[in-house]
Amino acid sequence: MSELSKDQYYVPHLAKWPIVGSIGLTVTVLGAINQLNSENPGTPWILYLGFATILLMMFGWFGEVIKESEDNLYNTQVDTSFRMGMIWFIFSEVMFFAAFFGALFYARNFSVPWLGGEGTGLSTNEVLYPGYEGVWPTNGPAEKGGRFEIIDPYHLPLVNTLLLLASSVTITIAHHALRANNRKQTVIWLIATVLLGATFLFYQVEEYIEAYTHLNLTLGSGIYGSTFFMLTGFHGMHVTLGAIMITIITIRVIRGHFKPESHFGFEAVAWYWHFVDVVWLGLFIFVYII
Amino acid sequence: MSHDITHDEMSHGHDHDHKPKGFVKRWLMTTNHKDIGTLYLIFAFAMFILGGAMAMIIRLELFQPGLQFVEPDFFNQMTTMHALIMVFGAVMPAFVGLANWMIPMMIGAPDMALPRMNNWSFWILPFAFTLLASTLFMEGGAPAGGWTMYPPLVLQGGHNVAYLVFAVHLMGISSIMGAINVIATIMNMRAPNVGYLNMPLFVWTWLITAFLLIAVMPVLAGAVTMLLTDRYFDTSFFSAAGGGDPVLFQHIFWFFGHPEVYIMILPAFGVVSEIIPTFARKPLFGYVSMVYATAGIAFLSFIVWAHHMFSVGMPLGGELYFMYATMMIAVPTGVKIFNWVATMWKGSMTFETPMLFSLAFVILFTIGGFSGVMMALAPVDLQYHDTYFIVAHFHYVLVTGAVFAIIAGAYYWLPKWSGHMYNERLGKIHFWWSTISVNVLFFPQHFLGLAGMPRRIPDYSTQFAEFNMWSSIGGFAFGLAQVFFIFIVWKTVRGGEKATAQVWEGAKGLEWTVPSPAPHHTFEEFGPVDLDKMAHGKTH
Amino acid sequence: MKYIIVILLLFIIFSLGSAMFYLVKGQGKSQNTVRFLTVRVTLSVLLFLFIILAAKMGWIETHVPQFLNP
Repeated sequence: MSELSKDQYYVPHLAKWPIVGSIGLTVTVLGAINQLNSENPGTPWILYLGFATILLMMFGWFGEVIKESEDNLYNTQVDTSFRMGMIWFIFSEVMFFAAFFGALFYARNFSVPWLGGEGTGLSTNEVLYPGYEGVWPTNGPAEKGGRFEIIDPYHLPLVNTLLLLASSVTITIAHHALRANNRKQTVIWLIATVLLGATFLFYQVEEYIEAYTHLNLTLGSGIYGSTFFMLTGFHGMHVTLGAIMITIITIRVIRGHFKPESHFGFEAVAWYWHFVDVVWLGLFIFVYII
Repeated sequence: MSHDITHDEMSHGHDHDHKPKGFVKRWLMTTNHKDIGTLYLIFAFAMFILGGAMAMIIRLELFQPGLQFVEPDFFNQMTTMHALIMVFGAVMPAFVGLANWMIPMMIGAPDMALPRMNNWSFWILPFAFTLLASTLFMEGGAPAGGWTMYPPLVLQGGHNVAYLVFAVHLMGISSIMGAINVIATIMNMRAPNVGYLNMPLFVWTWLITAFLLIAVMPVLAGAVTMLLTDRYFDTSFFSAAGGGDPVLFQHIFWFFGHPEVYIMILPAFGVVSEIIPTFARKPLFGYVSMVYATAGIAFLSFIVWAHHMFSVGMPLGGELYFMYATMMIAVPTGVKIFNWVATMWKGSMTFETPMLFSLAFVILFTIGGFSGVMMALAPVDLQYHDTYFIVAHFHYVLVTGAVFAIIAGAYYWLPKWSGHMYNERLGKIHFWWSTISVNVLFFPQHFLGLAGMPRRIPDYSTQFAEFNMWSSIGGFAFGLAQVFFIFIVWKTVRGGEKATAQVWEGAKGLEWTVPSPAPHHTFEEFGPVDLDKMAHGKTH
Repeated sequence: MKYIIVILLLFIIFSLGSAMFYLVKGQGKSQNTVRFLTVRVTLSVLLFLFIILAAKMGWIETHVPQFLNP
């Protein structure tokens, strides 16, 4: 870190990417709305265009930041700002997942037992849904989506837990290696992490196909299907995002970026990966097992 | 422009006041906290006028019993859109605008911590509200199920459901990024000798508000995502037939919604806590207790949400818990009111426009607070629920609370922003006009509510006619007063008496050490600031 | 048994949170971030093994959907 720039907090001038990002978001959203609202949706070109614009923005924006970082424009104070931005972003992610875990908790502990006649739900149960037991897993008194079976937690989900846990171990090894300035090791273990993550995603897709084709477990399978697919689905999206970020980090390590004592980009991504893994543990326990 | 005013040590040596030239570079690509603050404020004002126009339609329809001007469905669209636009488009962006302008100057920072992201947080908003407002011109119209978006009603909205959900998502992204920026700025960008307990109260309240924003906006995003999937992807989160529960939405929504109301009022507390000491010419009474009270209110805001749902059907234990927890909020709020009054006690007070609005804030917000305590009582809330009493309550806390504080802040800092003093006579006219009309507008609604007039209904029984007419007359007058406010601001920005750096005789704080108008860049070099210039600089 | 699992999960979340804290505090220079992340991975592996054990021993049972209409 150059001593010259210590006192000056780097303030960029003329940011062109944010407005591109806003346009990208808006086009994406319009594409999605169009798709949802039309009677017979065709290929979602507008949606793709929006995604492409957002990708362009991310490459441009992050590229600019990486370049400035490698040019030593950032002092430790700028570094701290990025760190704070990252942890508070993760906190917002935690709260987003909390909303869905909260929905799961409420359904399992309150709404389903009430529909089954517990507490003040007695007359509701007797008049509206006689005979409904209110036992989890359920697709509700109307048996929405028809009879279904659930995924056996001790087959694919168990393997997936193992895969994701292993990927956390490998990224931790890579983390230690980077701190010891052992770049070759770092790259090898990062690649291993990405491969494990990709395998996890592959099996997740397998599981969804299995659920839809053989178990009749779909998004429409009442509250069980809703919480199951939304929680695992959003988690899967985050794994995808994390895997992409690790890929980028790997490329940066190969190009000689980061130093043993300053590698915020790496730490942020590693931490994100750990976060995604812990969310999965929560899912494995509360959605699949208990 | 600013060079004829004596520079002091803060901005000295940096007279390159070069703002980028051209509209696109100056506004679209800006990373400057002052320009972005201006954008936020202008946007908020535009939305305030748009939402206000919808309120005028509502009051016009309610002027007399019977249906005269608009269809009931359009009336419902107006109430829904009025609320969404005022909450997410006017009040929140206005406070973010004030935060952008003032926080870096108040703590001696060169800019916000993440300037590029700052630009993005603003520039998402115009797109989000264009999406939302575009539904007004569509087949089926705008969302009409109320701003609380309760299912199953809101899901019957047809095409507008997707627009509503995605617009809320975009607003949420914008708010979260804005809040992250505020937190990073306050925690990381204070001048080296400014400790947490040296910060002005406005900065403190915003720090806590930003935390609330990051904690609850994602929860709202989750809630509307579930609405979207229930509407378009056949999920059953809010359908009892599938094992879900419509009440689940209310729980998630109000877990966001209750902290949200403090998001809209805590910065207002901050603004008022800046203004009252200035014009009472005394330091703020009980600075540390103010900080703790703010933190206490923020903490309590997370554990009281279901008091919005007393009439929905909850186990008795739940009703009792939420009733008592809610009443506890009156304690820290009482601490604040007490401190403001004690600050004025034996002060050498003058009554310039910002002070007048702040005083009105203290009195009228207290009225709104008291009606809040009334409704915290679960048994009586069963009568008040969904009547005009609740409408009167939240307009007292939001209009004479949040909006009055924003207006007070605008008068207070306008000379610093524009370099000109506003016309004090016009300001006073604006104050009395607004304050009288707003009470004519909302006070009768307490009586209407207690007598049983339901909210969100375009027609009413004839015994409510007189109070409604008064309320409408007050409404039109209040609306016109705000058009007059635009005129005052416009006139001040265009010209007028030059403002000094100090502006107000009794004002303390780093923002008064830089020239008026504030140069494009302030505090460019990190270094210790003169703590004597800060209101609480020497206290800790 | 469920409670043991949940408590272990809470410990994992706590060590993850500590790592986050030191991510900002330590500026990447201190060992604390990576140390807490290592703790959290170790705990996770333990939790995983415990779940397998609990399932094998029949301490926890998998739920099966029940339907009204056969």
